[in-house]
Amino acid sequence: MLELKRTLDAKGHGVLEMPSGTGKTISLLSLIVAYQKAYPLEVTKLIYCSRTVPEIEKVVEELRKLMEFYTKETGEKNNFLALALSSRKNLCIHPEVSSLRFGKEVDGKCHSLTASYIRAQHHSNPSQPVCRFYEEFDAVGRQVPIPSGIYNLDDLKDFGRKKGWCPYYLARYSILHANIVVYSYHYLLDPKIADLVSKELAKKSVVVFDEAHNIDNVCIDSMSVNITRRTLDRCQTNVDTLQNTIQRIKETDAAKLREEYRRLVEGLKEANVARETDIYLSNPVLPDEVLQEAIPGSIRTAEHFVGFLKRFLEYLKARLRIHHVVQESSPQFLKDIYEKVCIDRKPLRFCAERLRSLLRTLEIADIADFSPITLISHFATLVSTYSKGFTIIIEPFEDKTPTIANPVLHFSCMDPSIAIKPVFERFQSVVITSGTLSPLDIYPRILDFRPVTMASFTMTLARTCLCPLIVGRGNDQVAMSSKFETREDFAVIRNYGNLLLEMSAIVPDGIVAFFTSYVYMENIVASWYEQGILENIQRNKLIFIETPDAAETSMALEKYQEACENGRGAILLSVARGKVSEGIDFVHHFGRAVIMFGVPYVYTQSRILKARLEYLRDQFQIRENDFLTFDAMRHAAQCVGRAIRGKTDYGLMIFADKRYARADKRGKLPRWIQEHISDGSLNLTIDETVQLSKHFLRQMAQPFRRVRPAPFFTRFS
Amino acid sequence: MDDQGCPRCKTTKYRNPSLKLMVNVCGHTLCENCVDMLFVRGSGNCVQCDTPLRKSNFRLQLFEDPAIDKEVEIRKRVLKIYNKRDFDFSSLREYNDYLEQVEEIVYNLTNNVDVERTKQIMEQYQRENRDVIQRNKVKLTREQEELEEILLLEQQDTEQRRLETLQEEQRQLQAKRKNKQALLDELERSQLPASILLAQHKDRAAQLETQIEKQKQSVKPTTIFSTGIPKGQTVSLAPVIRVEEVLYKYQPINVETYGPPLPELEQLDRLGYLNHVRTATPQDLAGGYTSELACHRALQDAFSGLFTSLV
Repeated sequence: MLELKRTLDAKGHGVLEMPSGTGKTISLLSLIVAYQKAYPLEVTKLIYCSRTVPEIEKVVEELRKLMEFYTKETGEKNNFLALALSSRKNLCIHPEVSSLRFGKEVDGKCHSLTASYIRAQHHSNPSQPVCRFYEEFDAVGRQVPIPSGIYNLDDLKDFGRKKGWCPYYLARYSILHANIVVYSYHYLLDPKIADLVSKELAKKSVVVFDEAHNIDNVCIDSMSVNITRRTLDRCQTNVDTLQNTIQRIKETDAAKLREEYRRLVEGLKEANVARETDIYLSNPVLPDEVLQEAIPGSIRTAEHFVGFLKRFLEYLKARLRIHHVVQESSPQFLKDIYEKVCIDRKPLRFCAERLRSLLRTLEIADIADFSPITLISHFATLVSTYSKGFTIIIEPFEDKTPTIANPVLHFSCMDPSIAIKPVFERFQSVVITSGTLSPLDIYPRILDFRPVTMASFTMTLARTCLCPLIVGRGNDQVAMSSKFETREDFAVIRNYGNLLLEMSAIVPDGIVAFFTSYVYMENIVASWYEQGILENIQRNKLIFIETPDAAETSMALEKYQEACENGRGAILLSVARGKVSEGIDFVHHFGRAVIMFGVPYVYTQSRILKARLEYLRDQFQIRENDFLTFDAMRHAAQCVGRAIRGKTDYGLMIFADKRYARADKRGKLPRWIQEHISDGSLNLTIDETVQLSKHFLRQMAQPFRRVRPAPFFTRFS
Repeated sequence: MDDQGCPRCKTTKYRNPSLKLMVNVCGHTLCENCVDMLFVRGSGNCVQCDTPLRKSNFRLQLFEDPAIDKEVEIRKRVLKIYNKRDFDFSSLREYNDYLEQVEEIVYNLTNNVDVERTKQIMEQYQRENRDVIQRNKVKLTREQEELEEILLLEQQDTEQRRLETLQEEQRQLQAKRKNKQALLDELERSQLPASILLAQHKDRAAQLETQIEKQKQSVKPTTIFSTGIPKGQTVSLAPVIRVEEVLYKYQPINVETYGPPLPELEQLDRLGYLNHVRTATPQDLAGGYTSELACHRALQDAFSGLFTSLV
């Protein structure tokens, strides 16, 4: 609380690590809301960013509780407006559109009903279908602001149905004057979406990134582009459509193209004025230069631009026709493209903006179809704007299948600070928080900002409800480790199996076991089956396995919970970095023990990772090993943290690898776990582990009454 | 990609993976074999459009769409003539108009619109702007210059890194060799039992190994700041410390002559002394020299030497 207040007072940025399940969200909300109430002029808006839709809903529920408490205590109705924002897929109430399954389809369909020229056509030709909710909203929705209160997604939909307004556009319009906005990271970090949704948000806002331990990867993903042969083929059809449309329009409505041309000659002055007056969040895809200058003459007319796109496309195709891996920097790429197809850097830089203007002019309804060409244009703009921090890797085939040609061009961003920079610059305070941010100092370094506060909190516990154990050896004294040299070793696999077997016998209800990768999990499970270990385990508990397929995994998860519910007990075998490890909580009996088999390092042979590590070393002075260990440990901590979701909860955390006992690994675990690792719980054998676990579980199983109502943090100095 | 093939003999890439497609100025493809066969005499007409072609103008097809090959060819030719740079124009608007004009010409030539007229325009332009074209031929555009510079820097960086790692490896190799040699020497000369020596050697080797590992791990900190000032060189921004001193005060020298007094500096001219010294040239005067000074100095010397023997 103290640290957060200090951050707000200083109008600076902060990094806070708080253990999961201890009321992190409510603490943040209550302080910031109180601050907003006390200094309404200093902090006008709270932007709360979370990762998934269920998490967003959870935040809104917490907020609702807080507001109810306010009304109860103060007795007055407060006029706070808080709302959640999500994609059209989650907010649409149009009967036809909302029945579509994929987000892209919904967006495309919605666009084809609400685009301005469609509505103009509707005026002259009433048989043209439009969305009546949007019409209604457009007619009256903007005049009266939405009444104050707390709205989650369902509330917005209900409100929309009642009034007959489109909830999505209502929400998007309302975030401008709402006091609290809850939405996903991507609305701020992904430049393509941020430009649409978030660019007009007030400067005096406080931004909170919750569950932000992966924020660097989100930033990088939002700026990276992967181009496959298939993308290019679809681009080709896009370009052909563009050409035909231009031809058609030229015959029927040449004035429209002339109008666009005139506008382009004038330049993009409007956007520039807006940015100078500080209304907009700046967009890293839209470089400053683009705003100050007019579109270069070589791509000013529509035909020339299509010709330009064609050349660019053919060039990329030619580049993808290779038989060896190529890695080059943006300047090298630019030089080559000039030599091969005479494309200068400047028109490339304007490519994204020009394409947007063209699509608008041609009145193409289904934008979703044009996603490949838009992707290519973003790539063009990025590659010509940034000469540093990006690398281009062209791989003719995947590592796993070196015989099948599947060329991919990775344009990968190596510097997460590029995407997040506008956020840090624009908003007065940005708070990054998660359960696992250790070591704290690495985040400011890789995101390139200066926090005013950095703190790691630990829990005050009524009883020690977590029990981290580091198991290093089997009963036969063979060291257990998932490191490359020993991972195929029979003894290691057998010992892992024995560990799981022993634990399944003594732990009640659910056990979650994490492996380092899908491949490794498959290997181990196969060999457990051969050794008969699997059969023995199944005498104690049912076994469920996570797969890369989302539907299968959610099925397995459902059944796992069912098995835990009815007392049978179950084991879920899953993968660190997978779906289960990130978003799903195993409260109470769903997770009484988490076993982490091995250290979840990333696949270090990937060229993109190598390039990134090199960049980190050269630019930020972060050593390769440091970063890899940091990354592995944050995932390990994230996995084991799934088990403890509150004070009444308890769980075993078993790290089954002898490397966890080393100081460099152990030191990178979050404080609240490290605290409970004593010297007695290092490098145990399986027998010792069983002993300690039995003791712990017996103690925890006693009835527990002392539950403190309010969350409470203590500072760890 | 699979349906790419020669329009004449219908061979495809799939059937003949080593198929080489060629393209000429008209933008139509032929495979290498057909080119060899049809253009034995060095020239002939295109199979598809009957344009007269020369065999020497056939090039390997780079792109899937032969039209692009043609366009790039034309573009390169046009850009050789239209090579004005942005600083040749007074405003950006004019430059953009010029760029559009160039684009128009390329477009016309590729799509066979008004070819004759366009060619005329080009020739006229070439005649009018001959000297500008000549001048700009050697110059790169500003952007290209920037690119070249960045590339050069990158190259230097990688080269330096490569050298560093090479040196590092060599140093390690030498250290290891030295260690081994030392062991052999000791085994030869020392009185200690071999097992102890071996253990010592093992110890030393392990130490060396850890040292190497540590070096590998350590990151080289950057040596210069972004401003170009090397790190470590302390650039103190504190003001220079002032030393308190008594101000210098001029005191005229007093020459004891023990004889007749010296004539005053002002009187030298009047008493005619100056007639015997060289008159100052304007250059001397500019440097602060006057005839009086030198004369006075000489008189001082002469007078102080007059009566010394009497004392």
